[in-house]
Amino acid sequence: MKLTTRNTHRAGRFFILLALASLVLAACGGQAPEDASSPAGDTVTLTLAAYTTPREAYRVLIPIFQEQWLAQTGQTVIFEESYLGSGAQSRAVVEGFEADIVALSLEADVTRIVDAGLITHDWHSAPYSGIVSTSVVVFAVREGNPLGIEGWADLAQPGIEILTPNAKTSGGAMWNILSLYGAALRGHVEGVPADDPEAAHQFLLAVLRNVLVMDKGARESITNFEQGVGDVAITYENEALVGQQAGQTYEMVIPTSSILIENPVAIVDVYADEHGVREVAEAFLAFLFTPEAQAVFAQYGLRSVDPGVAEQTAAQYPALEDIFTIEFFGGWPAATADFFGETGIYTTTVLEVPSLP
Amino acid sequence: MNNRKLDGVRLVLLTLVWLYVGVLILAPIAGLVSGMFRDGVGAVLEVLSRPEVQSAFGLSLKIGLFVTAVHTVLGTLVAWVLVRHRFPGQGWLNALIDAPFAVSPVVVGYMLLLMFGRNGFLAPILEIFGWRVAFAVPGMVLATMFVTLPFMIRELIPVIQNLDRTQEQAASTLGATGWQTFWRVTFPAIRWGIIYGITLTFARALGEFGAILVVGGGVQGRTETATLFIYRSLDERQYVAAYSVAVVLGLFSMLLVMGADLLKRKQRS
Repeated sequence: MKLTTRNTHRAGRFFILLALASLVLAACGGQAPEDASSPAGDTVTLTLAAYTTPREAYRVLIPIFQEQWLAQTGQTVIFEESYLGSGAQSRAVVEGFEADIVALSLEADVTRIVDAGLITHDWHSAPYSGIVSTSVVVFAVREGNPLGIEGWADLAQPGIEILTPNAKTSGGAMWNILSLYGAALRGHVEGVPADDPEAAHQFLLAVLRNVLVMDKGARESITNFEQGVGDVAITYENEALVGQQAGQTYEMVIPTSSILIENPVAIVDVYADEHGVREVAEAFLAFLFTPEAQAVFAQYGLRSVDPGVAEQTAAQYPALEDIFTIEFFGGWPAATADFFGETGIYTTTVLEVPSLP
Repeated sequence: MNNRKLDGVRLVLLTLVWLYVGVLILAPIAGLVSGMFRDGVGAVLEVLSRPEVQSAFGLSLKIGLFVTAVHTVLGTLVAWVLVRHRFPGQGWLNALIDAPFAVSPVVVGYMLLLMFGRNGFLAPILEIFGWRVAFAVPGMVLATMFVTLPFMIRELIPVIQNLDRTQEQAASTLGATGWQTFWRVTFPAIRWGIIYGITLTFARALGEFGAILVVGGGVQGRTETATLFIYRSLDERQYVAAYSVAVVLGLFSMLLVMGADLLKRKQRS
């Protein structure tokens, strides 16, 4: 009996300890989100669903916009941000993640939201067809480029270990594949004859055989490369530049030919109207196209769509010998079906490489 | 001769065990801790004082405490029913409880979206009441409940099986109600199982990642738990932030489990 009482005490003490420890942590932690509403009460919340790579730019852009909006209207804008792979983010919005604004890697991911009936306006009618930034596909290689990687053809050499994200979840991966295949078809891959789909397919296969890791998103892929995995990362130019800004020592190789990566932004009409934030959402979108905001994008590795800013930053962003757009493949609907559909070129080629997912 | 041979075996065994545990567990933890302090203690304190970090810890704890509370009551009930009652479909129920061990957490997230997402089959009902489950905290709670379901039940089933039923019978012979019997006789006997179940459930809930990323969307400051914060910080190359939160989270969970372990051993001796 005495033993039981003692045990009860011990159990009680343990529960009290558990509760106390939880309370301490909850006290340092718990209340922050609830206190976020401003005392004036005149606040509005915008939810931004973005792909993984422009986050550094948005970290600078959002405070500038918040300040401007406060000065203009006296209203405080609170931003809720989420950064996932472009495809994953697009599917989340379709499944009910109520983002007011999407900033994605590629048009096809916006189209998925249009098809779900959530974007009801013609988002292409915005300035620059709703494309807020551009980039090109580059290779990140180890310091000093020990393997001497100069262009696309080098990626097919046996034994080279390549990182590229997974095309099922990442927009960056789709750009990488299209860029590689387009460069081959256009005669910009040494040893691969132009306009020869079979040769391009063999080249794609040879590169895929060298792929070591396929991450969920472009950012995860490059940070894995930074941890010492692999010899080459196929990535966005802005990813490599932001990595270098963060102190990474890898080098960037720009191939002679690349697709022009075009990143769209759009308001998600249904959610923005449901939340009653259309006005501020439109203002934020318009702000992203101002020279001021475009200069911030350029600062964080993205090629500006504003001609003035593009000219000012031209030295930082060298022109490529051959650059082509998604129109080379007949636009996104055709490219999505031809490459990433069930019988698409990429879908079937990746099956020929047993080690890939 | 025989003794010396035994000592040799012992030495090999001990070395093997220490190597195994050391490589698998100690080395990564050492790496994490050294990464955490690479910019000094000040940087760690700065990270832990950030509002986003505190809200992430807060959310992890809230979800963990809620989930643990529910499983403590209902998990005990399930374990009790499974041991003490015989009913059709019992084998199936028993097997179902282990499903969360077998299903990948990411899949759990998508399963919840199939139910509660905008196109999910429960969406019309949710809309009527204006409830938000997917991409909000309730969805994350459900996901965590799913993955932590087996811990309490699996901990308690053997404990209840080993109970001496004569004490309960004696209690009811002496006129105790069913409720009194439970609180006065049964509960004290299975108390240690419950405590161990609580710590395991809570620790597992704190560590959940895949399911709550999918179902919560990882919105900073709103649906971002400590584990999701770690994931984001790694993406943002904020390594000290990621490592610091990881170490605090890991330490907390380990203390919980070790505390329960220690108490259990003391109680046995």
